[in-house]
Amino acid sequence: MSTQDKVKINKLPTGVPGLDEIVGGGLPEFSFNIIAGAPGSGKTTLAHQFVFANASPQRPALYFTVLGESAIKMLRYQQQYTFFDPAKLPDSIRFVNLSQVVLEKDLGAVLEEITKEVEKANPAVVVVDSFRTMVRKPQSDMDLQSFIQRLALFLASWQATTFLIGEYAEDELRDNPIFTVADGLFWLRQTAERNSIVRKLQVIKLRGQDSVPGLHTFRITDAGVQAFSRTFGLTARKRNPPSDRRLCFGIPELDKMLDGGVREGDSVLIAGSSGTGKSVLATQFIAEGIHHGEPGIVAVFEERPEAYAERATSLGLDLETPQKDGKLTILYLRPLDLSVDETMQSILDAVQKIGAKRLVIDSLAGFEMALSPGFRADFRESLYRMIFALTGIGVTILSTVEVDESFTEFPFSTYSISFLTDDIIRLRYVSIDGQLRKIMVVIKMRGGNHAKDIREYEITSKGVVILGKRLTNFQGLITGIPAYVDRTDLKEEPSQELEIESKR
Amino acid sequence: MTTSPKTRDLALCLLNYEAVSAKSSESMESATLSVYEKLRQSLSVFAGVAAFESLAFRALTQAKSEAPSLWAVKVTEDGSLQGLGEDEPQIDMDKDLADKFPAGDGGIVLIARLLGLLLIFLGEASTLSLLRNAWPSEAFDDRNSEHGRKA
Repeated sequence: MSTQDKVKINKLPTGVPGLDEIVGGGLPEFSFNIIAGAPGSGKTTLAHQFVFANASPQRPALYFTVLGESAIKMLRYQQQYTFFDPAKLPDSIRFVNLSQVVLEKDLGAVLEEITKEVEKANPAVVVVDSFRTMVRKPQSDMDLQSFIQRLALFLASWQATTFLIGEYAEDELRDNPIFTVADGLFWLRQTAERNSIVRKLQVIKLRGQDSVPGLHTFRITDAGVQAFSRTFGLTARKRNPPSDRRLCFGIPELDKMLDGGVREGDSVLIAGSSGTGKSVLATQFIAEGIHHGEPGIVAVFEERPEAYAERATSLGLDLETPQKDGKLTILYLRPLDLSVDETMQSILDAVQKIGAKRLVIDSLAGFEMALSPGFRADFRESLYRMIFALTGIGVTILSTVEVDESFTEFPFSTYSISFLTDDIIRLRYVSIDGQLRKIMVVIKMRGGNHAKDIREYEITSKGVVILGKRLTNFQGLITGIPAYVDRTDLKEEPSQELEIESKR
Repeated sequence: MTTSPKTRDLALCLLNYEAVSAKSSESMESATLSVYEKLRQSLSVFAGVAAFESLAFRALTQAKSEAPSLWAVKVTEDGSLQGLGEDEPQIDMDKDLADKFPAGDGGIVLIARLLGLLLIFLGEASTLSLLRNAWPSEAFDDRNSEHGRKA
């Protein structure tokens, strides 16, 4: 059977930002779906979004309400959402209350009532809310299974895409005939973690579609439910082939140490303790990109965008003009109760909006602190997904991370995220001649050569300035307490960076 | 607290529709009862009988304080009205319709109260959408006419 002989399943927009990506491009037309979850988890809102996105006067939506939230109150609250369009009532969306039938009659009568309304309206979408209240009345399993089976068959025959909404606990998932019949099963969870509410959505089952597995964060805002795919909506995009292009910092000596700059599409980590100039380096990196026509994003967590731009001005770097020109966005992300995926989605949206080539995350510690406590456990995993997704489309990411200054160790990161980075630049204090001076070393550059030199630098009004040549008269520099070694009588060894240059 | 002039206008507008309709079909049913029945049927389908009955009971309680002539009127379990037609003056179809709904008339007050509750709970846009469902051949557009009729 050739591909063109196969039936084509149309995908309907869910009306929920982010959910189309999760379900594999849209909800299968004529599918029989269940939205399950605890009270208050957003089931009704999600169904409303689907209804408003798909109903038309020609193919309306029939929204059956049963015992539970009164239709009047439901409409009162639902119309607060921006997706709610009162003009769609009643031609495109019709509400029908089944409470009386459910209370007074059996499931057969309920099916009869639904059948009657469906035949009358010829709807494209049918919602039964809450289905659970309908099946709580005592009845045999066989009655229920038969009812579900007949309802599913009938609605599919009438070419309706259906949602049954129900309050279910997780342990009810097994051996439930309703879930067996359903083509799609959407589970909404909300849990309280510390002082925050964590909402997650899972597509447990979706016949005929390649949905994104796992738990996806979602939020309910005045725009309704917004879902955040674990793949950040970038699954469909091809990864760019590795680039040999180098992006420089605009600090000549550092760029030499990096063999011309960091590779385009790399993830760079600048690690150092407080005051070592991580943010200054990051600012110079983004400003240099803008100078070369590469739009940039700076995600800041510890200071406001105005303060960030002002500090750049003090270094002679103009970040105001590129912001006005749409070449630079400084994102201030300190929401405290946001999920890591939401925060990353904000960054991704900004990156895609201006076509950013360089992204600075300043800093990872601030990023983690900005998250709801419940999401901090997922921080590294989510960071990995975002870095993988963004570098895959050619964005070069520079993250700063604060590390504790130790005089016995030389850690690269307190987050054990070195594996996420292609390149690491380590900054640290060192005690020399009764002064606390600063040294810099390139720890690694994946897929490229780099200088092995340890260089002293200063932060001046022009930013980071690397001083002189490598420090040859000291041993144990990376301990922070080096020992002076008089090497004036020794023949000077060639610098590693010069070796690199000579190879070019 | 009385109903707002706008809500009262909307109630009058519905009563007008029904009065005109009754005239053409030579129905003797009071316009008030007719409007109420249409609202009951439409809202019962939409929100359920119990929800409509609650709303209607509340509307009637409010209306009684404003229109003592409604003292004998009751809302039954299925939401229908009992006792309205008995004391309610019938509309004289041969005279100007506007003159037939004097201020304080119990029917207008009751319908206005019911509409007022809908407006409180659902807002104007959704209420008008529901009315369009009950009176599909009539135009409700508050932007075009202060009485709801299209200009």
